[in-house]
Amino acid sequence: MSAPLLEVTGLVKRYGGLVAIDHVDLRLQPGTITGVIGPNGAGKSTLIGLIGGAVAPSEGVIRLDGRDVSRLPASERARAGIGRTYQIPRPFLDMTVEENLEVAQYSIQPFARAAPARAERTALLARAGLSDVARLPARALPLLRRKRLEVARALALKPHIVLLDEVGAGLVDSEITELIALIQTIADPGTAIVIVEHVLRVVRECCARSLVLNFGKKLIEGPTAEIFANDEVAAVYLGTGGARAATGNPNLAAFEEAAVSVSPRGVALSPLIAPPSTADAGAPLLELRGICSGYGQARVLKGVDLRVRQGQAIAILGANGAGKTTLARTISGAIVPTAGSFRFAGENVSGRPAHRIAQLGIAHCMEGRRIFPTLSVQENLLIAARGAGADVTRERLSAVHDLFPILAERKNQPGTSMSGGQQQMLAIGRALMARPRLVIFDEISLGLAPVVMDSLYDALAELKTAGVTLIVIEQDVDRALALADYAFVLEHGVFGLSGEPTEIAADPRLRHIYIGTAD
Amino acid sequence: MNARAGGAEVALIGVAFAALWFAPLFTGDYGLQIAFRVLIYLTLAESWNLLAGSAGLVSLGTSCFVGLGAYVAFGLLNNLDAPLPVALAVAALAGGALAALVSPALFRLRGLYFTVGTLALAELLRLTMVNVSAFGGATGIILRDDPPPLPELFHYALVVALIASLAMTACARTRVSVILRAVRDDEDAAAQMGVRPFRVKLGAFVLASALGALAGGVQAVKLGAIEPYGMFGLQWSIDVLSMVIIGGVGLRLGSLVGALFVVALGEALADYPEAHIAITGAILIVLIRFAPRGVVGFAANLPGLMRKWAVA
Repeated sequence: MSAPLLEVTGLVKRYGGLVAIDHVDLRLQPGTITGVIGPNGAGKSTLIGLIGGAVAPSEGVIRLDGRDVSRLPASERARAGIGRTYQIPRPFLDMTVEENLEVAQYSIQPFARAAPARAERTALLARAGLSDVARLPARALPLLRRKRLEVARALALKPHIVLLDEVGAGLVDSEITELIALIQTIADPGTAIVIVEHVLRVVRECCARSLVLNFGKKLIEGPTAEIFANDEVAAVYLGTGGARAATGNPNLAAFEEAAVSVSPRGVALSPLIAPPSTADAGAPLLELRGICSGYGQARVLKGVDLRVRQGQAIAILGANGAGKTTLARTISGAIVPTAGSFRFAGENVSGRPAHRIAQLGIAHCMEGRRIFPTLSVQENLLIAARGAGADVTRERLSAVHDLFPILAERKNQPGTSMSGGQQQMLAIGRALMARPRLVIFDEISLGLAPVVMDSLYDALAELKTAGVTLIVIEQDVDRALALADYAFVLEHGVFGLSGEPTEIAADPRLRHIYIGTAD
Repeated sequence: MNARAGGAEVALIGVAFAALWFAPLFTGDYGLQIAFRVLIYLTLAESWNLLAGSAGLVSLGTSCFVGLGAYVAFGLLNNLDAPLPVALAVAALAGGALAALVSPALFRLRGLYFTVGTLALAELLRLTMVNVSAFGGATGIILRDDPPPLPELFHYALVVALIASLAMTACARTRVSVILRAVRDDEDAAAQMGVRPFRVKLGAFVLASALGALAGGVQAVKLGAIEPYGMFGLQWSIDVLSMVIIGGVGLRLGSLVGALFVVALGEALADYPEAHIAITGAILIVLIRFAPRGVVGFAANLPGLMRKWAVA
């Protein structure tokens, strides 16, 4: 075997107590395309950042062509031949598309002759299918073309290593076909390509070898076909019971276990639960009809219907990029739907701003926790109960403390100084402090050790028993289905599947949606 | 396309320069005084516009380099009998050197913090001059020999403004402009393209500071006497800032239009200093609200606006 073009050994990245990348080794041979897959928060983008130089490693060595580049800044690594794209495209918006490429060309070769440089740009733009927009400002491009510009811009560096970070996310099938064709034109005998991707079709069709990251560790590496057939990999995505034991990080689990304990059953949650509305109990609490929603050019939800009754627990499942978080953000008012009707407690609330919707009694426990770092644990909780009287606030606070005693112990600490699991408890507690009628939990298990997930789900079960209406958005299918009364599976922005949890769990289409099968 | 526009611009600047060279033959002292002020302001505004408009570095440290240039030029003229062009050249070098010296600290600060850092630097230098008697203390320094006659000073200012305009053209019309704007728009993404943001910002900052010091030197020689409160006064920084905002940040003609506007307004309201400040303030508020890209930006959008109004 020839010498690797890029060799990564013992790479570690820590953010405070969180280990984002944990002793990852990687060897890239010239002329290969390697896929990197894994659940959200597994550390895939961090790995790209570490190789590209945007993120400084805590430990480990990165060698490019035998030369140690681990301590070089991003600009020097780009000059050494590492080109990357950003998951969310970051073109220079006020420059023309062509000027975006000039940045890369002229930064590495300031005195390059103008005519050959222009010819090179023209060729690159043609390859990326951007010839017709060369003179338009990058701002005018829709998402797909911005992603292509990201790729073209990285290629203008004439890199030996190309790192593509989720270039397929948010694209529809036909766009993915075009993208795959583009990636295949990049591959040449002197270049190594790394593709980080949730759109598994891209990985399946482009990459001979793949590796799976989970909790920052390399779970498995090998030929892509074998990886996709591997049960353990399916478990990482689907989160089956067996996978809990197999993939859990024992150190982290032990570390969190001491700090995480949920109070015994039967705590007094009543101060946190809004009384059921007296007006016609049969009507749904939340009713969405034909909701379309998205971000600018990217249309994510394409006609979603959802009815949630008082006291129900609903699970929303689906692959990455299916639109789960967009749905949550639409319900909580962070995004205004472009079409469809949105009713809550019998009222039409479509188009209302997020704070008005929160006042109606919808609480959103957001993906990524969103703890206010400058506020203490206690202040993070109190901010959600603004406007309630002092007595009421004290009652709610003590109920939250009953549910998560750790929040009482740590009440004066800064909110983000706690461990991931504790922060998630704080986020849940904060959502409850508003005494909501409906709570949306978005990916509360993300990036947490299995044992911590268990205790969070125990708490959710208590809330359900106490009568809180829940919408649980989750990658971890088993946990979500165990809790829910009814489940929906989002696929490409619509509900592809819905039913009782037992039916859904048994449905072969679920596995198909998550992993995708060659059909 | 860029190269042709750049060539035309250089030709235009050359013609304007040649025409203005003969201005002393046609205008009296008053006209020359005004023209001198416009040229000094133009130089400062061009250099500020280069920093803020192209590189995204908003500085409140103009006075720092104006003052430094003044003191260095006076020191050389009074103590070493240096010829005026040499004294001014060394003043410019000193401005650039100071910028290079402080940039490792200043560039650690991004955005508003950088702005505050430059303000602190100007105050630091002013207080140093006030408190060190070798630099004349609070009373300042008087030029030992008589300053050159006004037409000659005008020619110095004209050359300085020419250098600033050509430097700005070089930065705005060549491939340098692409690199500068990349750093301004997204430093991290630019680094990922191989651009070294620190060096790019340093280059812009050194060039702008050298030009500021050069203008400061010429201004000081014209005054014949300098003192720290005037030469290091915040007024320089504020005037330049308002000129560029009125003219148009990041626009090639913004500095010229702004400098002309501010000097003309100052002359028109010379007898009412209080009204002058109030009116300048009001103009700034109106412009920021309704024409955030300044007079030049507004004029450039005018055809589109007219069409919109015509339709409505």
